[in-house]
Amino acid sequence: MIRGGRSHVSSPPAFSNDAKRLLVCTGNTVSIFSTSTGLQIKSLEGHAAEVTTVTVEPAASKVLCYCWTASLDGSIKYWDFSVPELLKTVDIKLPIFSMVIPSLLGQPTERNEKQHNIFAYVSVEDTRETTNPRKKKQPKPKPKPLSGRICKCNLTESRLAGGVTLAEMKVPQVITISPSGKYFGIRKHHKLLIWKVPDVESERMVMRKITLHHTKKMTVLAFHPTQRIVAAGDVTGRILIWRRFGDKTFAVSDGLVDGNLMSSEEERPGVRDNDDADSCTTWHWHPSQVNVLNFSSDGAYLYSGGQEGVLVVWQLDTGKKKFLPRIGSPLLYFTFSPDPSLSSVSLQMSSADNQIHLLKMPSMEILKSISGIKLPCSVPEGYEALCRGIAFDQSAGLVALHTGNYCIQFYSLLDDRGISEVQVCERNHQPGDDVTVVVTLVALSQDGSMMSTAELKIAEEGIGGLVCLKFWASGSQNKEFSLSTVIYEPHRNSQLWLLWYRDAGISAIAFHPTRRVAVSSSYAGDFKVWICHDEFQQKDPMLQNSGWSCHAVGSYKYGSSFIFSCGAVNYISPCRKKAMTAAAFSADGSVLAVAAETLITLWDPDENVLVAVIGETLAPIMSLSFVGKSEYLVATSRGSKPQLSVWSMSKLSASWSYMLQIEAVATAVDASSFAVLALLPESPKCKELNGTVFQGRDGVILLFNATDPVPVASWSVRKAKGGFLAFLQVNPSSIQEYISDGKPPQTLLAYMNADHEYVLFDPYGEETHELSVIHREDLLASEESGHYGYASIYGELPEFQLKKNQATWTPSAPSEKPWETIFNWFIT
Amino acid sequence: MFKLTSNPIMGSSNIRDILTSFSPSLDYFAICAGDARIKIWDTLKGQVQTEFADIASTETTSFYSNKPERGHLSVDYTCMKWLALDKKKKRKLGSSLLVLGTGSGDVLALDVAAGQLKWRISDCHPGGVSAVSFATHGSCIYSAGADGMICEIDSLAGNLLGKFRGSTNGISCMAVSPDGKMLATAAGQLKTFNCSDHKKIQKFSGHPGAVRFMMFTEDGKYILSSAVGERCIALWRTDGGKRQSASCVLAMEHPAVFIDGRCIDSGEVDDAGLYVLAISETGVCYFWYGKNIDELRNTKPTKISISSEGIISQNQKGAFPAIFAAKLQGISKPASAHAFVVHGLLIKPSFQKILVHSGTDITLHSSQDGVLLPMSQSVIKSKKGLDLQNRVTALDRAYAEDAVLPLPKILDVHEKKNRHQTLITDPGEVMADSLDSKIQAKFVESKDDTVEVEADSAMVCMEDRLRSLGILSGKDDPRLNLACKSTLFNDIDLEANMPEKKMRAAVLSMSPSNACELLEVLVNMWQSRSDRGKHNLHWIYSILVNHSHHVLSQKSLNPMLNSLYKITKSREVAFQPLLQLSGRLQLIMAQIDKATDDKIQIPSHDDQIDESEDEDEDVEELLYGEVDNESQISSDEDD
Repeated sequence: MIRGGRSHVSSPPAFSNDAKRLLVCTGNTVSIFSTSTGLQIKSLEGHAAEVTTVTVEPAASKVLCYCWTASLDGSIKYWDFSVPELLKTVDIKLPIFSMVIPSLLGQPTERNEKQHNIFAYVSVEDTRETTNPRKKKQPKPKPKPLSGRICKCNLTESRLAGGVTLAEMKVPQVITISPSGKYFGIRKHHKLLIWKVPDVESERMVMRKITLHHTKKMTVLAFHPTQRIVAAGDVTGRILIWRRFGDKTFAVSDGLVDGNLMSSEEERPGVRDNDDADSCTTWHWHPSQVNVLNFSSDGAYLYSGGQEGVLVVWQLDTGKKKFLPRIGSPLLYFTFSPDPSLSSVSLQMSSADNQIHLLKMPSMEILKSISGIKLPCSVPEGYEALCRGIAFDQSAGLVALHTGNYCIQFYSLLDDRGISEVQVCERNHQPGDDVTVVVTLVALSQDGSMMSTAELKIAEEGIGGLVCLKFWASGSQNKEFSLSTVIYEPHRNSQLWLLWYRDAGISAIAFHPTRRVAVSSSYAGDFKVWICHDEFQQKDPMLQNSGWSCHAVGSYKYGSSFIFSCGAVNYISPCRKKAMTAAAFSADGSVLAVAAETLITLWDPDENVLVAVIGETLAPIMSLSFVGKSEYLVATSRGSKPQLSVWSMSKLSASWSYMLQIEAVATAVDASSFAVLALLPESPKCKELNGTVFQGRDGVILLFNATDPVPVASWSVRKAKGGFLAFLQVNPSSIQEYISDGKPPQTLLAYMNADHEYVLFDPYGEETHELSVIHREDLLASEESGHYGYASIYGELPEFQLKKNQATWTPSAPSEKPWETIFNWFIT
Repeated sequence: MFKLTSNPIMGSSNIRDILTSFSPSLDYFAICAGDARIKIWDTLKGQVQTEFADIASTETTSFYSNKPERGHLSVDYTCMKWLALDKKKKRKLGSSLLVLGTGSGDVLALDVAAGQLKWRISDCHPGGVSAVSFATHGSCIYSAGADGMICEIDSLAGNLLGKFRGSTNGISCMAVSPDGKMLATAAGQLKTFNCSDHKKIQKFSGHPGAVRFMMFTEDGKYILSSAVGERCIALWRTDGGKRQSASCVLAMEHPAVFIDGRCIDSGEVDDAGLYVLAISETGVCYFWYGKNIDELRNTKPTKISISSEGIISQNQKGAFPAIFAAKLQGISKPASAHAFVVHGLLIKPSFQKILVHSGTDITLHSSQDGVLLPMSQSVIKSKKGLDLQNRVTALDRAYAEDAVLPLPKILDVHEKKNRHQTLITDPGEVMADSLDSKIQAKFVESKDDTVEVEADSAMVCMEDRLRSLGILSGKDDPRLNLACKSTLFNDIDLEANMPEKKMRAAVLSMSPSNACELLEVLVNMWQSRSDRGKHNLHWIYSILVNHSHHVLSQKSLNPMLNSLYKITKSREVAFQPLLQLSGRLQLIMAQIDKATDDKIQIPSHDDQIDESEDEDEDVEELLYGEVDNESQISSDEDD
């Protein structure tokens, strides 16, 4: 089993003490990268859920490599990451969103006493019914209004400090600690809450707290390393700097003898209400939300970065600025390297497209980048349904996914590494700008040598919308695609554009399995078969003009049931045409199946002759795929009446179907089985069940044999909404190293979830072995619970009924309870 | 991302001084070219991942402070190999080491992922290290040097475990078998040793010069070796007698610098054979395949070379494309193998997986992307870029004009049909009419079917459309029979008015059985009222006269002849009244003409009145469809 595609930017990373290693939270593990080579060295594995905080214990000696990690699984772990070895686990049973340990940052000499307790402040989400016996909290009806809280935790004795809840809030917030370890704070809407860490910590210590107010929602805060200065950024891009905060509240305990304390009482410019600060200044450069704030270690500079992807260096005294532009994506975190002995201070910066840049300071030059799989990019409202921007190269084990900056990234699933990026649209990407162009579809030919993309320029107030279909040819071995043909408005008819209001968007692109032929179908009601010209010109090497052109067009008209040609000269109102919602070639390429809403039309792609029409489904078909070399065709439809239906090509009739919400379908090239990713229904009862049986997983992968409606195997998964499935053909020699025992599998099933994390596994492997592995893991887990859980589902799910079909072939599945059928078969 | 540096092998025309090594899982590639800078390339991305300039000297200052500081140019690496430490975690870089030997006799190991020197043994081999080698997943490394000793080194910590003498002279090359049991050294002659007791097993003689490269096949049965200046690869058998000569010699055009071999013996019979891959000094890759030693000996090598087009000018010193390294990845089918090849320019190599088939030479095209080129070449480069730009085809609305239009069809939709039933399928029901235009299309409406015809665009002429329109009929249409049969008699025009002599000649030229078939067709045509009997009857008559013998002998024709006779009889009865009717009609028409002074011509008439009426109706309907917008029709009948 191979996992990968983890996000590097879910939480802020940390440098090791010698600045040679970088600890990055990657899902359930912490990956350690070398800062000099940018390669991963080791990983800390042990947490059962996402790691949210990693803190390296500062030490005078560079050899010491200890770190604390906190995770959503409710545990805090202590590691020696040079080996790597787990030293200690503190389980507090509440999901931890953030953790700071002030005593680590204090003077190391003071921590010589062995019996000194180490306290951590954690930001947790309270999931318990009755939280604390001491608080005598009554069980509240769900959902709880204030589930996030800041607690104190005694790490030495491995327990939460009793009764100390510093603050409560709706959602758990990130705690920020000052570099000196004296203060820490959180932001709570328009307020900053700052606590002073007591000099001598004990469990019952009363903490002093101040509150600073602002009129906007704050996004980030930072403490000055030496002075009492705090900076905060807000959603509008303003940076506020409070100087000498907490003079009144914290002064006594600080032992500050300051004559100015009283005199500054009258004039406190910029400070609101009765906030305990001396002055407040505002800087405004960032056009949008500030994500990053950090003071330089000497306190002379303030680094800020935001949604627009520019790093700004402010001179603290004068407010002068220096910029590092063109980072290309929103900045998320900013960390300094701790090693002052290095001649060049390198620091590290994470940006939202899953990249970590190592900067050389003070020249602010990017030395190295550690990059991962591109994260799903946001799509404007209303266009989510159009975008299915992912394609798999089954033979090479690659995935092509579109990124926020109008690129297609090729990512090797086997090696967990990005290979190349292809710029699809020639326009500059500026993070934070409104998205005007969306790459809606990506398709790869079976051998991976051709790519086709569809993009949509979003109309502004109904004007200027443009659909564009592009064909790309692979230049060399490294997936460097070059544009071959671009077709503007491939499915719009020029004479008709005023008459018709339906979207001419492309619904599907499919490549012929062997020849240089592709088909694109459109919501406007026709499909076109495209052919690449150099198929004919291969004999003549001088004619390198490899362009694609339209070979044939076709459409299907329901009711009148007459198929008419639709060339450049066509005056028939297209509103009568059925939207073509999906298209697929059969494995040998002899049949082209195009879904006309609820019907499936079968065509001879060469002659462009309609061979047959089969149908129909309850809702418009979203995807079509032929099951390998077998005679079956799988169609899925979504909506209020979701359906998974399998059609027999020899009988031209439905073979069997389920009423399942299908997210993705994968078919192997030569096998007769296929896999679907089904979403679990969202009825309240089911949700409750999800907690116990599915443990928060919202989807199931079902592996079917096409002839049999009873699934061969199934796995339950998280984050299935927006997930993808694909079979990968594996070269046995290349996969050998991943498989510890037994012969390597021929095919692997790849599941990629909505966050582009993926897992590859052998669907036909030894069940027991595989399932036990899966069960331990978080991303994907098997169902091993008993039958009791399902009985209660059935009562709740009357909508699940196997659709009866008229075909002479009788399905072997019982008609009433698909889930029961499905699950009984694999719980063995 | 990376700096393009001046070519380190400036002026040299071969690749023998370049040290290369693949990482165990082939995802990284280390290359070192004389100046002791090691570049690590990411083979997937084709980019430099990292570079070690003077790792030996910087690390020595911090950890071994007694060593004098030296720049990287003073280090001279002589051998390099990438070792996997852990079998299971092969793909994790943290568990692999890049082992290097230097000309000053040091052996050092780099942890590539961490970018650190893992360990170093100084002055291991006075006079220089000549080779390092290890078993596939062994925990110890062997090194050999000019002092003739072989050192055994612990790969994790870098401790010297043992030392023994392999030769009285300096050892030029050494290899360890994959299972770690056997070790081969070469100093002029090859010797094999048992790794555990360090005893000599075999001695091979045949290499006069210093051996440059040597390797064991995976099963340890053969040793492949090549020597400086020798244009061949020698293959030695390890399981033979004590003293042996080479069991096979493979000739090349230039001395080999790198060899990879694979021997598949048992197991699948198909794959069995020996596969040898070698790279010559000039950067050309050779591939041999043989089912056994004897076949291998006689095979001609398959060459993989870089196309000469890529070499822009020979006077550009150094910048010549070559194949630097190659590795056999796996055997796909007999006589062909997957090879992972590094080729191109040294400053920007390309990584490619190719399928080598024995007997088919391959020419690789080296790309010059990302290479800084001198001015003279940049012109060509920019032209190329233009070409690339020009090759993009942009299509707009006029693109679909020559597209194939679908053949229009009529499908019958049974409205009462159930949802899941197939709506319409049988292509036999819907037939295209390929007859000549003289036969007019006819639309038969079956009782429970609703059939609509939609004429298409105005651009298509009526005749074409009619020709292409299908006919829906429950019964077998005789004309279809003729349609198929007409190919048989394609030289005869049944419709033409032929003189009797010609007709007779044509009929006589047919074989009797063919004539019978034609007879059947003709009778059918005549019987169905769809066709004119004018010429048919002549043909039937002619056949019956000329092939009477055959017709008589065919019993199967009897019912047909019977019915023909009956029909003829019945028509004969009607013949007289018809003639009368015709005469009367003629009279009446003449009178009408006179009365109205009209110029209407009397339509030429034959005996098939019904047929012409049908025709008229059809044409009218189609004209109606033509004039009005057909969408109206559909909208009328849509719901």
